[in-house]
Amino acid sequence: MTNSQFRMSAGEAEQPPVVTATGDIDLANVNEFSEVLNRAAADSDAITVDLSEVTYCDSAAVRALFAVAATTKLGLIVPATGAIMTLLSISGLDRVAAVVSRD
Amino acid sequence: MAPPHFQPHQHPQLVALMHRILERMQLDQLDALGMAITVHDKRHDEQPSVIASLGIGADFAAAQLSGIGGPVPDAFAYQVPVLSLDLWTDDRWSELTLAAMRDRAPQHESIWEQVHGAAAVPGVWADDATVVVCCTLSQPASAATVASLISYEQLVSAALITTAAENASAIADIITVLQSRGAIEQAKGALMGLVRCDAEHAWRMLRRASQEFNVKLRELAVALVEHISGAPAEQPDTGTPITPDERTREAARLMWAALSEAPLTE
Repeated sequence: MTNSQFRMSAGEAEQPPVVTATGDIDLANVNEFSEVLNRAAADSDAITVDLSEVTYCDSAAVRALFAVAATTKLGLIVPATGAIMTLLSISGLDRVAAVVSRD
Repeated sequence: MAPPHFQPHQHPQLVALMHRILERMQLDQLDALGMAITVHDKRHDEQPSVIASLGIGADFAAAQLSGIGGPVPDAFAYQVPVLSLDLWTDDRWSELTLAAMRDRAPQHESIWEQVHGAAAVPGVWADDATVVVCCTLSQPASAATVASLISYEQLVSAALITTAAENASAIADIITVLQSRGAIEQAKGALMGLVRCDAEHAWRMLRRASQEFNVKLRELAVALVEHISGAPAEQPDTGTPITPDERTREAARLMWAALSEAPLTE
């Protein structure tokens, strides 16, 4: 997998930087995901992670998101229904991150 | 020829180590009211059981596992970290209430009243055998609580894997887990145990060694873990097995030897 699966872009106006992920996030590429998250969080006290184009993610991704939320205000954009939303509510990540659902 | 069944409870040194890890965790979680390490070996039809605990940790984990639900059973069932800001009002576990805990363990009455948040983090230490590290707090849990538990879970899983490896029959299982669960995580855990560093430091050591020896990090991780367990990899029939070449194995051997020679401080 190339880094293009995880893209970082500067936030518009006063908005925090956005990390956009696509495809599957699992043990094979979670380190790359973490690196991009950390890079985005390095110069900002808040980041937004757009997971609306993610096709699969598991415990590895949840761990990476908890880790970045430990030091940064985390916003998540997720599909309104489906496995990712379920994973967020089972784990309670939705209680410490600001979740916006997108249809 | 049935292999001897590895049971963490029967290894006093392992149980003592688990207590030490919990004591260390407590230094990071000053508002903790209880902590517990619970193991579940599904291969032998056993129920999850607590192997080490502090404070209300054991009673609370046992109550959650007895059917009323909570972060511990959910971490086992879904294999994801679970966080709660306020247990008694959390809509995920309607039966987990202050009244229910007063009934079950009245001896801790004054402590149940102080309980707010909790976090539980799962890990895998053998094929179909899992562990959950959890803590209960007098404050709401935060993402930092989970992040801290994640780093200790890696140490706990590494200790279980290493102890289980002494049972020769368990080695094949361990190798399978290493492949399915991610050799890199396990190698990091072993390095954290050996040189007593955090996950980030272990990751940097692995990456630096892979660059120095010019070998693939993933293969180095597999070779390292095979070297520690002392057995050739038994490759599973499914998936794409990771097969380190001789050069990578030599790199793993050199890396482990160099680190093992460093004096260990107690």
